[in-house]
Amino acid sequence: MKKKGEILALIFVSLILGLILSIQFKTVNLSVGEGALPTQRAQQLANDLKKAQAERESQLRLIKELEEKILQYEKGGVENNIYAENLYKDAMKYRMLAGYTDIKGTGVILEINDPPVDIQFGESFSIVDELDLILQLISVINAADAEAISINDQRYTAFTEIVRAGNHIEINGVSTSSPIIIKAIGNASTLESALSLKWGIVWQLRNYNYIVHLTQDKEVEIPRYRRVKDFIYATPVEETVN
Amino acid sequence: MKKSNPKLIIIISSAIIGLFIASQMKLNLELITPVTVKSIITAKNELSAAKIELIELEKLVEQKSEELYALQNIATGEDNIIDIIESDLKMNKMKAGYTKLEGPGIEIIMFDNLLLNNNVISYNDDIIHDVDILNIINDLKVAGAEAICINEERIISISEIKCGGPIIRVNDRSLGAPFTIKAIGDPKVLMAAVNAPGTYGDTLRTIYGIGLEPYIVDKLVIPSYKGIFTFNFAKPMEEGE
Repeated sequence: MKKKGEILALIFVSLILGLILSIQFKTVNLSVGEGALPTQRAQQLANDLKKAQAERESQLRLIKELEEKILQYEKGGVENNIYAENLYKDAMKYRMLAGYTDIKGTGVILEINDPPVDIQFGESFSIVDELDLILQLISVINAADAEAISINDQRYTAFTEIVRAGNHIEINGVSTSSPIIIKAIGNASTLESALSLKWGIVWQLRNYNYIVHLTQDKEVEIPRYRRVKDFIYATPVEETVN
Repeated sequence: MKKSNPKLIIIISSAIIGLFIASQMKLNLELITPVTVKSIITAKNELSAAKIELIELEKLVEQKSEELYALQNIATGEDNIIDIIESDLKMNKMKAGYTKLEGPGIEIIMFDNLLLNNNVISYNDDIIHDVDILNIINDLKVAGAEAICINEERIISISEIKCGGPIIRVNDRSLGAPFTIKAIGDPKVLMAAVNAPGTYGDTLRTIYGIGLEPYIVDKLVIPSYKGIFTFNFAKPMEEGE
């Protein structure tokens, strides 16, 4: 009798153990999602990505080194030559305007976070769906006499395009996603009031439930444009009369 | 002794089994978590974006090396510092929009919907807004436009396009409809960017009935930016920061 009872208890315990195990596996499947694949492919991808990022870092370092050397040569070259020095200053100004210099100055920082997911319906939307709003924002900032603008550290130049690509956006060919951080250099109070005008663009964004932070900053840093732009179709028109 | 042991053995063995199962699960969880179809697709996208960025960076390295080479040649007397800076100035002026450019491209004429009885809900749908022009220009930039202007106002990085009542303000000048947008670039690609079904331009034309007529032009002339621009707030970052 005693032995039978023990065996029964053992059977009972193992049944419960089996149940617990199967529940555990099911929940793991649910929380991770269906279609768990062999890990090899993912690991390979992750390795490739890491390699690409490392290469990117080294390229950026190389570019920085080259630029430093160029700067030294240029500065050394224009010394003791007033004509060259003035020319160099002019060149620097247009380089800044074309977006090929890191710059800093007073301005505003605007951060747009996606609205929280609707608890009742589980719906969510993201700023990447509303490129119109980003384009309008840039236009408003420019109307407030901004001197330079960047979106997620991508300098806004005359060639900057904003493209929707799946669930992220591409700016200057670099993919980014929300939160969108727009930095602008210019008269900080003008910029702020132009943006936060009632019925204005930030008001509109907040009305759509985006979480928007608008702050003035004394040292806004805007990085340079990192793409090589060649003119293939356009040629300058030689002007005969100045 | 042998008779009294089974309980102990069972306890020990179940403890060992428990340990095994726990370690097994921990191991499995670690491996499974990041691997779903979705995460693989995301990783793939990131990888391809990183690769494209690398190609761009390589181009930049090449360009900088060339610049450096030219500068180093000053010492040997092959190049002149003034020539180098002048060409740099010319190139940057071109990129900044301070040069009159010509080349093949497209010209788009946009005008408001002039039909009287066209069953629109709001008069706002009949007229061209800043958003429409911004979107068309963004589409043109995506298609690789090298220079864009609206009614002879060059669009550069600091150009604003804002509705101001009956007119649209561009570069601090007021423009009225009809708008003529010119863009230099590959004419076929530019044409597709505003004309293909599903594009913003096509939607404007077919759904809102706004006039949008693109033409391919073999030789467009795009004026330079007319405003005077000085940096009052922005300063270049010093090296080593």
